[in-house]
Amino acid sequence: MTQRYDVVVIGGGVAGLTSAALLGKRGMDVLVVEAREHLGGLTSTEDVVPGVPCDTVDHELGWVPPALVAELGLDRHGLQLLHSDPCATALVPSAAAESITLYSDAQRTAGSLGRFSASDAAAWPAFAQRVAQLSGFLRALYEVPAPSLFATGAANLVSMLALGRKARSLGRNGIFDLLRTLPMSIADVLDESFENAALKGLLAARGVTRILQGPRSGATAFLFLHHHVGLAAGAVRGMLTARGGVGALAGAMIGAGKAHGVTFRTGATVARIEVKNERTQGVTLASGEEIAAERVVSSVDARHTIYDLIDPVHVEPELSRAIGHVRMRGATAKVNLVLDGAVPLPNAEALRGPLVVAPSISALERAFDDAKHGAISDNMTLEVRVPSVLDPSLEGKGDRVAVSVLAQWAPYRLKSGWDATSRAVLGDRVLATLESVIPGITNRVVHRDVLSPRDIEERFGATEGSLTHGELALDQILFMRPVPALSRYRSAAIQGLYVCGRGCHPGMPAPAAMLAAREIARAVRSREAPTPPPAPQAA
Amino acid sequence: MTTNGSRTRYDAIIIGGGHTGLVCAAYLARAGKKVLVCEKRHLVGGAAVTEEIHKGFKFSEFSYVVSLLRPEIIRELELPRHGLHILPLESTVTPMPNGNYLAAWGDHDESQRELYRHSPLDAERYEDFGIMMHHMAHAVKPILAMLPPDPTSLSPRELLALARFGGHMRSLGEDRFYALHKLMTMSSADYLDEWFETDVLKATKSASGIIGTFLGPRSPGSAYVLLHHYMGEIDGAFRAWGFQKGGTGGVSEAIAGAARAFGAEVKLEAPVTNVILKDGRAVGVAVGPGDEYFADVVVSGLDPKRTFLGLVDEKALPNDFLTSIKRFKARGSSGKVNLALSELPRFTCMQPDNIARWGGVQIPAARYLRGAMSISPTMEYVETAYDDAKHGAFSRRPYMDVVIPSMIDPSMAPPGQHVMSIFCQYAPFNITGGWDDAKREAFGDAVIHALAVFAPNIEQAIIARQVLTPADIERITGLTEGNIFQGELALDQLFFLRPAAGYAKYRSPIDRLYQCGSGTHPGGGIMGASGRLAALTMLRDWPA
Repeated sequence: MTQRYDVVVIGGGVAGLTSAALLGKRGMDVLVVEAREHLGGLTSTEDVVPGVPCDTVDHELGWVPPALVAELGLDRHGLQLLHSDPCATALVPSAAAESITLYSDAQRTAGSLGRFSASDAAAWPAFAQRVAQLSGFLRALYEVPAPSLFATGAANLVSMLALGRKARSLGRNGIFDLLRTLPMSIADVLDESFENAALKGLLAARGVTRILQGPRSGATAFLFLHHHVGLAAGAVRGMLTARGGVGALAGAMIGAGKAHGVTFRTGATVARIEVKNERTQGVTLASGEEIAAERVVSSVDARHTIYDLIDPVHVEPELSRAIGHVRMRGATAKVNLVLDGAVPLPNAEALRGPLVVAPSISALERAFDDAKHGAISDNMTLEVRVPSVLDPSLEGKGDRVAVSVLAQWAPYRLKSGWDATSRAVLGDRVLATLESVIPGITNRVVHRDVLSPRDIEERFGATEGSLTHGELALDQILFMRPVPALSRYRSAAIQGLYVCGRGCHPGMPAPAAMLAAREIARAVRSREAPTPPPAPQAA
Repeated sequence: MTTNGSRTRYDAIIIGGGHTGLVCAAYLARAGKKVLVCEKRHLVGGAAVTEEIHKGFKFSEFSYVVSLLRPEIIRELELPRHGLHILPLESTVTPMPNGNYLAAWGDHDESQRELYRHSPLDAERYEDFGIMMHHMAHAVKPILAMLPPDPTSLSPRELLALARFGGHMRSLGEDRFYALHKLMTMSSADYLDEWFETDVLKATKSASGIIGTFLGPRSPGSAYVLLHHYMGEIDGAFRAWGFQKGGTGGVSEAIAGAARAFGAEVKLEAPVTNVILKDGRAVGVAVGPGDEYFADVVVSGLDPKRTFLGLVDEKALPNDFLTSIKRFKARGSSGKVNLALSELPRFTCMQPDNIARWGGVQIPAARYLRGAMSISPTMEYVETAYDDAKHGAFSRRPYMDVVIPSMIDPSMAPPGQHVMSIFCQYAPFNITGGWDDAKREAFGDAVIHALAVFAPNIEQAIIARQVLTPADIERITGLTEGNIFQGELALDQLFFLRPAAGYAKYRSPIDRLYQCGSGTHPGGGIMGASGRLAALTMLRDWPA
């Protein structure tokens, strides 16, 4: 017998779970369909080997809006956010004991920098404040649907006015600084303030996280600021995670969803979104099972949604073309290691925050050059976390220690193609780079999981292994994200079809889903008497 | 101390006789002002000059093609009457590594037929692409003639200007607005990837997006530079790029002629050493050893760094302005090789049997050599050229735009002989270890070798060569770091941010000191727009 829901959410990652919980709370009958057996998508925490948990892909949460935490009572469902402090430590080959560490306390950071450069130490507090100010504006921008020159209606006007007020609060110099900084390269921004190569490498790596661009590419300054939205003022290069690993956010969302009657189905792949008379009818699973629903909310990326899940006869050629142009170039690999003991790094405090291997801007740029020409970087840029140091609840059985490594660049479109050999090369390069900054670590490795962008695509359905469902570049944010026609979280051509993932404004799953859910709720309210879906065909 | 200059008072003194300074002078003189232009060299033009470097061979030494010169300037200054005479550049041929080639013609249909040989799909798209770029150029055109509004001001005048700007954007309609947004923010490679599949076509087109910038075709921001180079093509029917008869210096001479006809005085070999300030206000300039000239207003046509870091006492400038000018990016990235040739180059790909082999339309050398040869065989080639430069070296195999002006204007060289102008990128100003004679010659050799791959007879045909690195361009013209746009055309340096936030309306922090060079809105190329807008601004707030 065919089931029927008010809403079917495709994908059980953070975005899908967030939308589901919010819509459930508004009284809708919601079903979440997830292809994997595990809920959480890219933001999952699972055992790498039995008894040793690790963040599977993402190892930070991005911004989790406090309004969302409050609305769903996520703390009651076990969410406990953790800010990493130290914010980051630069690992350099020669002097592992003498590395730069950034703290959320600007004075303390300045102290750490003073050993390397007095002028950088002096410049730090102002820089940290500037980052807080400019990312504060982005945060205001991320709290509302992307304002549009063309959208009509009071909501758009309200978001424009709110942003205008926020911009005014930056002051004249602040506005000019914002407009000037966003399109710049992170290298140019850092060169204006600092001289120490290791410091600039450490910071620049944040501007190219999960993108196929080097630190000298335009708008990487925007990306740098983007990653600071939601962090405490001063916590430059910090990150946000949760007790129990990033998967704990998904866990809290599931708890909230259950409390509001949401149903979850795992191991069920959606094969098709059914459309009839320009309205969604529900979805059909790979098994052939049909699920009727008046609204379908897709949290998977836009290309997968439009190209793979909808019959092309329902897709306008302009939309199809625009979707094809979205740059999704995955370029980041994930390597999860299991060690038979603690990480052999003398600086124990540094292990509480992320460790970064990005010795200088030019080293980053060279690593990017390799990828730009279709090869795996010779010298990889790494962002390393040892989750159990900050969060003892993640300690592994029998002294086993999980290490989470995001590695760049490993381009999806590898010239030699992805196979077992290239995956092994990738794993070896990551380990070799790690060994150069943490001597002795290789001997401790008892297990490694290597996920190339191709693997990420296959396992998590993220097109081209893009960890952001579309690069965060100036032509792919705001009203351009994922494409203009879907930038208000809904399709104009197909009634009842919505998108809510990290591929939407503002490029992070929780806030995107929150905005999408509001849009859906508004649409539901505005239609006094929704037409019931036609009777489902007998299966 | 001699004071022979101080006897005459001027209404306005213009520092630098480059094309924007001359445009500004002409407009001020036309309005009845008494104007003096001070040029340090023995000829006007700045980077738009013609010089006989080797006897009998006239080189458009730096800037070598014309297209962007604003039509309203041509009209209002009656430049054709003063000798402006543009001869069209008819084609672009790009040799490919496999021996094939891609040609583009002034005739759109002919280009489309040629492209069809490479990709029927691209030939079809070419039509739409042309139409779209035409619309985009039209969308930007009003902005070129607009004083940049101040987005931070609450004054009714600024708010109105901002509203007008927003209205203009809205009037484009959604689709074109989004297309323009993409052009403003994307890389030229990504942008062209959305349209075409033929690599050599994308490589050649994307090269327009890197000219004068320190960006590779895959760097975001390069699509705007691509658009910047399309804007010249829009007046009337598609107006192609062209040569000034007698060399680029002729354009400067024509503008200088117009300025003189309106009564402006142009003083050569008059290098301004500093702007004279009195009570915080610009009152004149000091020239060479000991001369001083005084005027109600002083206008600098030099680049912002040279003006404010070289001619003005830094203490007279507010701190944030000074910081902005110091941060203003003017990284020179291009060089120039000028050749005197005993015979025409023979491009292997354009020999009749080779054309036949690839199924192309036969074209006599006399025709295609009247156009440009673009050495941009693949996207990878251009991007790799950039890789060399960003790591501090000149490109071993540079992108080159090659033209032979003597094919169009035989007066440029002795009978039967030719001049060749090679614009090359990248040659970074900040080359590791700095430029010296040995590096200059090595760069010249690299350019010739890279060209000889496609035209093997070039080496034996050279009678004389002039190699200009960014350091040479700086030394001769005064352009900081040899940047041909007086500052990169990057999104963070355009419109109300050019050259510094809050000072984009041709004024400066110093009372009665104005700026009119390409370092101000709307930027470089032989466009003249900033000179005109600066003059109109000055006339509006002319001191009583």
